[in-house]
Amino acid sequence: MSTRRGFLAGLVATGLIPKPSWADAGAPSYLAAGMLPSGDYNLFGLTETGAEIFRLPLPGRGHAAAAHPHRPEAVAFARRPGTFAIVIDCAKGEIEATLESPEGRHFMGHGTFSPDGTRLFTPENAYNETSGVIGIWDAEHGYARIGEFVSGGVGPHDICLLPGTDIFAIANGGIETHPDSGRTKLNIPIMRPNLSYATLQGELLETVELPREYHKNSLRHLSVRDDGLIAFAMQWEGDVNDNPPLAGLHRMGGEMVLAEAPADVHQRMRAYAGSVAFSESGDSFAITSPRGGEMQVFDSETAEFLSAVDSDDICGLSSGEGGFTYTTGKGIFGCVGGDSPRSPSRHEVAFDNHLVRIPSPDAA
Amino acid sequence: MRLIAACFALVFTAVPTFAYDIDRIIDEHVLPGFGRLAANAEVLDQRAQEDCSATSPGLREAYNDAFDSWVRISHLRFGPTETGDRAFALAFWPDTKGFTPRELTTLIEARDPAADSEEDFSHVSIAGRGFYALEFLLYDPQFMDAEPEEYRCKLLQAVARDISATAQAILDDWQNGYADLLRNAGENDIYRSEEEAVRAFFGSVVSGLQFTSDTRLGRPLGSFERPRPNRAEARRSNRSARNVLLSLEGTRDLVRLLADGAPNVEAELDTAYDRALDRLAGLEDPTFAGVGDVQGRFEVEILQQNIDRIRELLGASLAPILGVGAGFNALDGD
Repeated sequence: MSTRRGFLAGLVATGLIPKPSWADAGAPSYLAAGMLPSGDYNLFGLTETGAEIFRLPLPGRGHAAAAHPHRPEAVAFARRPGTFAIVIDCAKGEIEATLESPEGRHFMGHGTFSPDGTRLFTPENAYNETSGVIGIWDAEHGYARIGEFVSGGVGPHDICLLPGTDIFAIANGGIETHPDSGRTKLNIPIMRPNLSYATLQGELLETVELPREYHKNSLRHLSVRDDGLIAFAMQWEGDVNDNPPLAGLHRMGGEMVLAEAPADVHQRMRAYAGSVAFSESGDSFAITSPRGGEMQVFDSETAEFLSAVDSDDICGLSSGEGGFTYTTGKGIFGCVGGDSPRSPSRHEVAFDNHLVRIPSPDAA
Repeated sequence: MRLIAACFALVFTAVPTFAYDIDRIIDEHVLPGFGRLAANAEVLDQRAQEDCSATSPGLREAYNDAFDSWVRISHLRFGPTETGDRAFALAFWPDTKGFTPRELTTLIEARDPAADSEEDFSHVSIAGRGFYALEFLLYDPQFMDAEPEEYRCKLLQAVARDISATAQAILDDWQNGYADLLRNAGENDIYRSEEEAVRAFFGSVVSGLQFTSDTRLGRPLGSFERPRPNRAEARRSNRSARNVLLSLEGTRDLVRLLADGAPNVEAELDTAYDRALDRLAGLEDPTFAGVGDVQGRFEVEILQQNIDRIRELLGASLAPILGVGAGFNALDGD
């Protein structure tokens, strides 16, 4: 006769005990950091339509978060030049691990998991070196630091893995900063951002630069489509009235294609794109400008301008049901492009720069 | 136009009325500032052509006067200063990789003929141009007596002439069009409202103070374990603290114009500026060489906090009355 203990041990041995999943945290579709009216910072779990599932305290202003593909774990990064990131168990509401960047490195506010969830990758400023790095952390063993590889440029900001490969696309924003001088940009007249592709083993496969006239266009946020097409967003470090292109598309081995709305619409972006995302179908992609309170949507094949959405202090952006989902510093959670238009929901929170979509279980 | 904007602000957002005057800012701050820079840079050019000796008192005096007038308005980083990287061509600093001495060495070793013509020299790397390059030529032993003497002299004259040409070009653009864009904000595509115009000025003060705090003070401070006095700005010419002073005075001049008509805010900011200026005067450390010892470091850190306090007040007190309160994400992008 089997004892309960024996039964449980048997289950563990056969791997039948259900591992914690995002369902245990209420199955949120999105993660977003934000500031409450009290001035405290929280990490929010939100449904597809913006309903709040959970809110968990953060020690300070967050930037982006990374969502583990299976486990209900979120990694919240401090804003640049943060040296800490915390791993939050969103089911228990507890801090599970703390990541501290190694000597001579700091986080850039972004990170991404490998599809199997065993590794976390973090773009880092290696401020005494000529190139940034991507830190590698073991998500199976308490998030131990297990290595790093060069990012292929100064100031790596955002990173994503090309689906089905071990190749990373890395946005090297090009801006040199040093913790001794805060967030001050030290190399604007000579900055050279790029989009690099590198393997996990650290082999730099390709580096693509913008045309010389746009060398002050900090290419720093990325979105990837299932077929490996990259959409990128840029922040102009020259005069705001230069109005350079702020978005583009690239596929490994190909040429960059820049996307820009007609002049009068384009200048509403105020030379700044804070987030980028492909739509749910991938047929279009969008960028947001908190400075202009504007989101602009482009065709993924032709890079042609399609439409614009106005919302004050809009920045967070992700794919969403039938199109896009966005968040704003004014607490708005909105959806664009779905079949059944919904009016935006309003929260008593100032959502921070990025909205992170949690991979749906069937996609994993 | 402004009156109408003010009424709308009162009716719809209950923002207190504001009294800043874009014309006054341009006529009392911007144009005199860039005019002084152009005039002093022209004197610098003349003196360099007359006597290119690095130790020439007249030349060094003119250098310091021109550099002074630049730092006073160096916060006005939009429009004419950004065209063709003019501001960077005047002031390439910080130079974290040591490009300036390297570029000067390259020019001297090659006896680069770019120094023969104003046009050719304007295409030289910005690291080899402007006040910081000239500082090496005037005050650094490696360059003061560089050989061959004839080329050293020619290069020094080329740098001075280029500074003068750049300063004049900035002034010309301000006088011939750019000032009018700001005066007539709301009637052009560059400044589509008076709020956008005032935002440009407000932002320039905030950025200018940030640069002074984070970079002019932050770089020599380094970290507690590793202070970096050799990174102090313009330490060769003994100007590190002076540039902090000029940056405070220059931004204060603009802040007073922006806060005009809001006496409480003006007084609050004046007090904060006084505190920082008093602290700076008490330092008696022209190159921040004292950051290496605990007491000296402490005093520079307090000065840094005093300047950061001004920035906080700008956001908390001045921004709301100007109607330029920025959004949570828009304020400080990432």
